[in-house]
Amino acid sequence: MVNDVITAREIDVSVRLGKLELAYPTLMGSGCYGSGEEYAPFVDLSKIGAVVLKSVTRQPRLGNPTPRLVHTPSGMLNAIGLQNPGIEWYLEHDVAKFAQRPCTIIGSVAGFSVDDYAYTCEKLAARNEIKAIELNISCPNVASEGETFACDPNLTANVVRAARATTDKTLIVKLSPNVTDIASIAREAERAGADALAVINTVRGMAIDVDMWRPRLGNVTGGLSGPAIRPIAVLAVYEVARAVKIPIVGQGGIETAGDALEFFLAGASAISIGTANFTDPRVPLRIVDELRAYLAKRGLRSLQQIVGKANVGFANPHQYEGDEG
Amino acid sequence: MVVPPSGESAATALGVYEADGRRASILFFVVGKRTEELSRISEGEKIGVVGPLGNGFTIGSERDVAIVAGGVGIASVLLPAQAYVRTGARVRLYYGARTTELLVERERFAHEGCEVLVATDDGSLGHAGYVTSLLAQTDRRPDVILACGPTPMLRAVASVASDMHVPAQLSLEETFACGVGGCWGCVVPIVNTSAQAPSFPPAERNGSDVVYARVCKEGSVFWAHELRW
Repeated sequence: MVNDVITAREIDVSVRLGKLELAYPTLMGSGCYGSGEEYAPFVDLSKIGAVVLKSVTRQPRLGNPTPRLVHTPSGMLNAIGLQNPGIEWYLEHDVAKFAQRPCTIIGSVAGFSVDDYAYTCEKLAARNEIKAIELNISCPNVASEGETFACDPNLTANVVRAARATTDKTLIVKLSPNVTDIASIAREAERAGADALAVINTVRGMAIDVDMWRPRLGNVTGGLSGPAIRPIAVLAVYEVARAVKIPIVGQGGIETAGDALEFFLAGASAISIGTANFTDPRVPLRIVDELRAYLAKRGLRSLQQIVGKANVGFANPHQYEGDEG
Repeated sequence: MVVPPSGESAATALGVYEADGRRASILFFVVGKRTEELSRISEGEKIGVVGPLGNGFTIGSERDVAIVAGGVGIASVLLPAQAYVRTGARVRLYYGARTTELLVERERFAHEGCEVLVATDDGSLGHAGYVTSLLAQTDRRPDVILACGPTPMLRAVASVASDMHVPAQLSLEETFACGVGGCWGCVVPIVNTSAQAPSFPPAERNGSDVVYARVCKEGSVFWAHELRW
């Protein structure tokens, strides 16, 4: 029927990341959302796509000295330093609790060597409570090597290949914006077996206390998040989308459906929300409602129909040249 | 965590000043954009609130209680003051601020049955100097000290309490992000053996007897002798 009216409820907002099917396209960013339990009193977790857990490492880590947070214009700097109890303790004491969450749980793995990643990934992915693994190869807040992996195409490939060999579950690789050519890193991650890419981790930054003449973070430098980095993230998604075929989880300063749409149009199949939850835990639910209304208004039945559509039209340089000619 | 009606600024962490089971109030000073916006809301407008979060002061069976408040720290000590007065304890409030005008609500505490001693940095009222020096000079050694205020004041309270051999509960202030225990940004180092230490492998696993606890979740109130700050 030509005038078939689509109601917002009928819009399909589901997404597929490798083998993983999510009813909603909203992931809660690693390190921002605890294990989901912390937010359960304030938001209906059954209406979010997935929680990406805080990263776990092979050995326990105390994390960085304080202060670990600084609020900055339109964003915040953090330098937590991967505080976590280590994989053995985590498996024994924490992972079983994740089964009770009413949403999909994605594990996050960080490390300091290829072997670290493979070891931790294998152990975590073996658990039924964990439906997919995100490889955090881009933490900017650890003294050595944390982010190095995401800054080098060969190291990225080595880590992804090693992790890939340990599990058949969906493997999401989280990329760093602090690189010259993110597309080349993305291609290596895809070739090495990644099922999806998370784009982007935080942008490195620093703030200085002008009264005390010292850095405002205990770690000196930190990772910038929030709306301040959104245009950087949209561009990164756009560039990565043109370089790979695997789905992208777009992230960086998303607060509204309008922000989210920029990422979908740039080429993301799903989005991740972090800092915005700190102001209002209902943001992920509101974004889905508004995305549905947006799509219904345009007669579209599925969110995935708009993914990457900013790649056509005047944004296409060839067409632009053609128009000029 | 309180968000002004526009929802445009980040959440502000504020304590509950008064609560009667039906209504709650917050007391704050206008110090920046967020509190300025909050100060302009009128009746009927809606603000966002995530809470209540974290712990509170522990009300024990102590008979003599010293409450130390610095500046806006006064906003977090009315409820424990009322609770201790109800137990029949003698409650003395040591209240300090830069100047007299900033010593808000002091009559309220007197009305609630507290003995109120004040200190001002400029000497315009009460003891001239820090409230912690007033506490150190006391002729009455309390059974417990409760304190809320700026971090330097809390450190001084911890030191005075240690000298007096009196346990002290400190309500800490930190920069918060999530406020619900999810991000580990607002942490403070405490001894591994503390009941408030988050689950973590034993000390020998990380070569330290200190672990970071979240001010928003395990706190904001910690025992002074367990802090390693």
